[in-house]
Amino acid sequence: MFFTQHFTTSINNYLSFYSEERKCSCLTQKVGVVGIGHAKFGKRNDATIRELAHEAVIPALEDAGISTADIDASVIGVACDPLAAQISPGALIHDYVGLGNKPMFRVEAACATGSAGVRVAWSLIRAGLAEVVMVIGAETMTHVGTSVATEWMARACDTRWEYPFGVTFPGSYALMALRHMHEFGTTRVQLSMVSVKSHKYGVMNPYAHMQKEVTLEEAMNSVPICQPLNLYDCCLISDGAAAVILASEEKARKISDTPVWITGLGSASDTMMISERSSLTSLTATKLAAEQAYKMAGVSPNDIDVACTHDCFSIAEIMSYEDLGFCKKGEGGKFIEEEQSYIGGKVPTNVDGGLKSKGHPLGATGVSMTFEITKQLRGEADKRQVSGAEIGLTHNVGETGQYCFVHIYTR
Amino acid sequence: MMVKFTEALKEGRLMGTKCKKCGAKYLPPRAQCKCGSHEVEWYEAPTRGKLFSYTLVTFPPESMTKYAPYIVAVAELEDDSRLLAQIIGVSPKTLQVGLPVHVVPLQISEDRIVYMFELEETAS
Repeated sequence: MFFTQHFTTSINNYLSFYSEERKCSCLTQKVGVVGIGHAKFGKRNDATIRELAHEAVIPALEDAGISTADIDASVIGVACDPLAAQISPGALIHDYVGLGNKPMFRVEAACATGSAGVRVAWSLIRAGLAEVVMVIGAETMTHVGTSVATEWMARACDTRWEYPFGVTFPGSYALMALRHMHEFGTTRVQLSMVSVKSHKYGVMNPYAHMQKEVTLEEAMNSVPICQPLNLYDCCLISDGAAAVILASEEKARKISDTPVWITGLGSASDTMMISERSSLTSLTATKLAAEQAYKMAGVSPNDIDVACTHDCFSIAEIMSYEDLGFCKKGEGGKFIEEEQSYIGGKVPTNVDGGLKSKGHPLGATGVSMTFEITKQLRGEADKRQVSGAEIGLTHNVGETGQYCFVHIYTR
Repeated sequence: MMVKFTEALKEGRLMGTKCKKCGAKYLPPRAQCKCGSHEVEWYEAPTRGKLFSYTLVTFPPESMTKYAPYIVAVAELEDDSRLLAQIIGVSPKTLQVGLPVHVVPLQISEDRIVYMFELEETAS
């Protein structure tokens, strides 16, 4: 009897959401971030993927001051089913965090899964299909060992034409690094400077996988992985999750005193094979996505106060400065050398530790970036606060540049 | 499409496809052009080129463990198209961007043939 009543109420609520009486001014409304949560990234032998997701969801709901009953839909990003040892993990996570019969999407865009989730959630709200959407990104990767994890990730390369040669993620980016050094004189030292920055800020981030500073010498002399990249040039294989709650402008203003608006979105793609790229020193998808996002938000690269860019490898961060317009093409090495991406520099970048020391649980990363920029724009980033940050940017790349999402946030 | 490619590779020839509408070339071959056309014809790609980039892989994925270390390279062929493969028979210390290379077929098992790069022998 109870079940029937509960079920009927639930269905009535769901149907009234779509009733004609409900006015939809959604197409002109802004969409904002009203709640954020983060699990500890790391080697988490103590939690399964569903528990990691829950660890991020609880603080996100508390932060927003709402409960699961107030969520209209979920968008869940997990990049690699085999690593989770669960096919279609979206359903698993949605169920475990208590979202019941609400609509749910699972998204995947390789390492850009998290930002793909944010984009989908934004779209649902803007289309009037939901008013409050929970985005969860989660991944478990450490339980299989490095060479197996590398194997699964290597299969994201073209499995007919590039994967069989043993090119992997570090391998693909190593090919780009060598080319960048050849074309622009970027140095081995400059690559390691990125790692030093990443670790300096990772220490200040309680959610970071690695909380240990590294010296330039240690970074330079670490074990080679795919030359010219060595261990400290490569992001960590991590377990983790992050969650953000997006809401329509009307709901956001009711839920939060400090909504952070996502005012610019850009997305683009590129060739599957790196041999078919127009350039090995730049990601076309980044440039195109950034152009769209800047235009939509009505800002330029000079307006960005704080950024989270996709530093899967040190060279990727250097290229991101150039492709996002923070500096000129070829001057990314100089940008890090002059400390322009440190707090106090031109565009503080990855001051949460980045993928390199915060860690890179594939599906969680993009959502973690949204978490960080929201914190910065709210003025809640503590020791890592960029003072007066008003406009932020997240840049999330999938695979070797096949997917890219750029989002711009304003207070 | 793969049958033709593989048969030609056994003879040491590299076959790509060219769009009949706009002339864009694809190596490895494919049936859809970015211009929107799916009418393509075969063309024979040059097997000589220059080393565009390379990397020595010392931490392989699990499936490649027994082959490590190996060198993955991208070559820019004489018609400006690029291709990725391993470069064999060479010490990583002697490599630099721009060295002349050529494509060679390699029968790796009874039913599998691939292409690899080798350094072009300089005429003495």
